[in-house]
Amino acid sequence: MDISEENKGDITIVEVKGRIDSNSAKTFGDTLTNLIKAGRARLIVDLKNIVYISSAGFRALLLAGRAAEKQQGNIALCNVSSEVRRLFDLARFTDLFPIYGSREEGTAKLSETLSPFR
Amino acid sequence: MSHSDDGQITLIISNSIAELQKVVDFVDNFGAANNIPKSLTNDLNLCFDELLNNTVSYGYEDQSEHSIAVTLSIVDGWLTAKIKDDGKPFDPRMPGAAPIDGTMQTRQIGGLGRGFVKALMGAVDYERKSQYNVLTIKRKIAEH
Repeated sequence: MDISEENKGDITIVEVKGRIDSNSAKTFGDTLTNLIKAGRARLIVDLKNIVYISSAGFRALLLAGRAAEKQQGNIALCNVSSEVRRLFDLARFTDLFPIYGSREEGTAKLSETLSPFR
Repeated sequence: MSHSDDGQITLIISNSIAELQKVVDFVDNFGAANNIPKSLTNDLNLCFDELLNNTVSYGYEDQSEHSIAVTLSIVDGWLTAKIKDDGKPFDPRMPGAAPIDGTMQTRQIGGLGRGFVKALMGAVDYERKSQYNVLTIKRKIAEH
């Protein structure tokens, strides 16, 4: 699994490539939670290039989501393929994380949640 | 890795999470060699991740090294996979998964992996044979 980050103002885009599974879930989760701890609590996770995400990955995502909420931030997902979306539906994680069609859409939606008083 | 006359191929791994990568490569190579759609081998790899993680994490009382045998074959158009281990008796078909509802703060993950296996595979069969768990999962190979 490869993971990269890009800051767009107050939002950080995290792109993941490969499999999020038992061997890579910790790295995935640590990347998200370390960003949140560093004050980057509005994340868009781009899943365009993942093969699948196993329950270990879902657990890491859930823990990161909890951490983001506690920092008044949030995590959204984008570019989810139909096969990966099927897993999110099975896990009912679509109830917990918004899924957008593109980075641009996700960035625009997350920006709407930012306080106007900056 | 061993091959049998009926086309089965078996990989032996030890009980550590790091060994699971060998299974990923094993499945991918078998799939490529047999023209199996990537969507199916990806689903099988996801199921293996769930099942083998469970075995490695919870299947043994001791700290010793144990062998786990993973076998692949194609039987009557079905991609068939078998996991044989000497861990504690465990039937993954049994219910007991955590509810899949709740808020971000209350949601639980336990049992999610079993749910994936049940949803992604066409059949899941379990037997306890002597001191071994023998689990067979399979799915029909769709025509292109």
